[in-house]
Amino acid sequence: MGPHTSHRRSDNRQARQAGAVVPATRVWAYAALVFMLFTVAAPLGLAWGQEAPAGPATEYRDILPGVVGSRNLIWIIAQQHLLLAGFVLGVPIFAWVCEIVGVRTGDPRYDTLAKEFTKLLTSAYATTALFGGILLFLLIGLYPKLMSYLTDVFFPSFLVYCVLFLLETVTLYLYWYGWDSMQGATKGFHLFLGFLLNVFAFFIMIVPNSWATFQASPVVITEGSMWARAWAATWNPTWWPVNVHRLIANVVLGGFICGAYAGLKYLMAQSKEERVHYDWMGYVGNFIGVFGMLPLPFAGYWLMREVYQYNQQMGITLMGGFLSWLFILQAMLIGILFLGANYYFWLGIMYRIPGSEAKYRKPILAMLVILLICLGVWMTPHSLVASLEEARKMGGTHHPMLGVLGVMSAKMTVVNVMILVTFMSFVMYWRAGKQETATWAKAAKVGQGLILGIATVVILVLGVWGYFVPAITRINYFSTTQVLVMLFVLLTITPLTALVLKSAKTTTEMVWGIMPPRAAYALVLNAVMVILLMTLMGYARSSSRVHWHVYGVMQDTSPYAYSPALGYAAAFMSLNTFLFCLMVAFIFWVASLGGEKKGGAPGKARVKEAVRPAVAGAR
Amino acid sequence: MTEVQLLQTIGLSVVGLGGAILLFVKARFVRVVAFVSIVLGGFTLVALSIPQMASLPPGVEKFDVASIKDKKELASIGQKIFFGKGQCALCHTIGTGEGRCPDLKGIGSKLTRDFMYESLTQPQAYVYKDYEHVGPAKFFPAKMPYINKKPIGLSKNEILAVIAFLQNMSGEEVTVELSEIEVPGSAGSASRRGVL
Ligand code: HEC
Ligand code: HEM
Repeated sequence: MGPHTSHRRSDNRQARQAGAVVPATRVWAYAALVFMLFTVAAPLGLAWGQEAPAGPATEYRDILPGVVGSRNLIWIIAQQHLLLAGFVLGVPIFAWVCEIVGVRTGDPRYDTLAKEFTKLLTSAYATTALFGGILLFLLIGLYPKLMSYLTDVFFPSFLVYCVLFLLETVTLYLYWYGWDSMQGATKGFHLFLGFLLNVFAFFIMIVPNSWATFQASPVVITEGSMWARAWAATWNPTWWPVNVHRLIANVVLGGFICGAYAGLKYLMAQSKEERVHYDWMGYVGNFIGVFGMLPLPFAGYWLMREVYQYNQQMGITLMGGFLSWLFILQAMLIGILFLGANYYFWLGIMYRIPGSEAKYRKPILAMLVILLICLGVWMTPHSLVASLEEARKMGGTHHPMLGVLGVMSAKMTVVNVMILVTFMSFVMYWRAGKQETATWAKAAKVGQGLILGIATVVILVLGVWGYFVPAITRINYFSTTQVLVMLFVLLTITPLTALVLKSAKTTTEMVWGIMPPRAAYALVLNAVMVILLMTLMGYARSSSRVHWHVYGVMQDTSPYAYSPALGYAAAFMSLNTFLFCLMVAFIFWVASLGGEKKGGAPGKARVKEAVRPAVAGAR
Repeated sequence: MTEVQLLQTIGLSVVGLGGAILLFVKARFVRVVAFVSIVLGGFTLVALSIPQMASLPPGVEKFDVASIKDKKELASIGQKIFFGKGQCALCHTIGTGEGRCPDLKGIGSKLTRDFMYESLTQPQAYVYKDYEHVGPAKFFPAKMPYINKKPIGLSKNEILAVIAFLQNMSGEEVTVELSEIEVPGSAGSASRRGVL
């Protein structure tokens, strides 16, 4: 401990020097910061101090073993905290995007929507911090040895975290309380605040991500200053893949929760105005959720690749070992999510655009079939084992029959196709009820068809060809080409459609507020799927470490060193999802208490304009 | 009732209750809660219907030198390590064809004991077949890990036991002598590590 102490002392000296030049107006901020630091660091310091006595220090404490147990308690609290955190990080992105769209389109509904969700943030933020606090105290109490080790490695980033927390809180309050006063001339500044809010939120996410990813792929250096060691540990092999995957997943979470909220309100709506408003809100939420979802599979595979590169056994444990079944559940959930999202688009075409049913029935059926086939391939496991003994009997972990469909080449292909189908569902919805008038509309249509057709063929050919080339070629060239082709389709068809529709005349007005209840349930289903996915993959991440707290560095010697089987774990995931849903419902309800008098039900003024499909260059 | 059955019962009850609510209750919010419960219950039931594997921390095979009577016994300890703590079976097969990594059938006859030891402790010293580039395309190439280092981290005794197992199952004579198994904590165990 000697060297660390001396480093900290020298840091203090620097801090004091810096303090001398700080303007007095900012002193309060520093005071608050020091207070927070103290609150967080003091208990940690205590846990640290426990190592000092010569006798065996307490390594673990338990809570009601056999009934609850320390691990299960941490599981629930950590999961709630993480879900809430995902929510409060996803919502600002969502709100900010809506605010921008509102400014760009001049449609006041977006601003109202953004504000409605920002309002939720203040109470959701407090709840998140509450669970964070409980989690921290429980971790210190129940896992003192691990926490003292992590503190030793990460103390500097704890400090950084506190500063970020402070900045985020201040920005959030400015963003929220300044909403109405910063309209008009100062709107630009408000948007900037929203941007800042998201920047801080991003860093708030990636700092704790470093603690979690360090546990899976630790980088431990013994030399260097406290900061150097913390930095090395922070930038570990899975840090950025998880940062990216989570960032996107949080946007998806924010979008789909907005959708579910709108769905629920839609079902409970009393008046036509409310139905119109919440129908529209559900549409926006689903839209943002879906578009966030499109890049996720690639971020996911990138993460897995880093895991494999970091440690073979961990990768195989995940994808071919005892966790192999987990990825079937994952594919099932993601598949249902894709289906749910598409189903919602299709219902939108059928109901919001009267008279379009006959025209779109066939394409929708075709899309459904394609999606189901893709889902089937995706769910086909690469390797499934019941036990290591079975792996041996089966001849490796490759299943003889499933092997062909189960390999990455096939999966990457169907993922791309599923994304394309979902995108086309949206385009179809976008164009429904409109008559192109541009002279070149026909040509554009043919062009789009060609792009789509050729792209699909290229993706499929590369997928099949992928079986016959060395892995390196396939990973580095084929898979990336597939993704690029898919992106190319998205990036060409979107502006083309927007251009064509610019001059199109609307033949059938979009009618909001007459969607059947099924649509609302689909929105709820999507939200539940995303939340379940988060709980499932959280379990995947922590059980891929098997019996290690910090993989290969600190072994878990507690009675809970084992990872429970999936059934038991799934019960926990369901419980956690349920609790989280209730909590979110509660937060929404609390927030609505204050607003009911002021704003009333979503204004009637907005109903008239409620005829335009939203987002993505709607016009 | 086993744990799985208990959980299945709970899952079924949740789904049943949710169904009943959807059938008989009109309150919208309650219906949505019921719908969510059905989804979650259904998910749990699916997860309960697949093979239930817990991942247990590896058991520690005792090397009570006095109690190991013959080389057969050493080999059987080695077998347990091969499928357990050593994690060898995660990658290797024995006589069922090559999957991800070399099949180890008869490896005890093909390789000398020293070479095997080196394969485990200095896996990159002699890469006889580059598993990253040949064979059917693999998304995630495999590499033989250092067996004597963390996270697998077998002790010398354990490695010797695994080698005894590999020789024994190849029908070879086990050349690991019982006298080589070190009593933990005895002098010289550290200095001789890895020399062989
Ligand atoms: C992460 C997967 C993995 C694990 C775990 C693993 N191996 Fe290997 N092993 C390999 C690969 C890949 C090779 C081939 C290396 C090469 O190209 O030479 C190999 C090679 C070998 C060889 C040399 C084979 C030959 O024909 O030259 C032996 C012996 C061996 N492993 C034994 C073991 C034992 C014993 C264990 C468990 C203690 C084990 N391996 C664990 C992947 C693994
Ligand atoms: C459309 C496809 C996908 C969706 C919707 C999705 C969704 C999610 C979500 C919601 C999380 C939780 C993020 C969080 O904790 O905030 C997550 C985490 C994770 N995902 Fe994905 N994912 C997808 C594809 C993949 C793929 C293809 C893989 C790997 C093959 C993968 C591997 C992981 C892993 C290992 C985690 C745990 C990371 C962590 O939280 O530490 N994902 N995913």
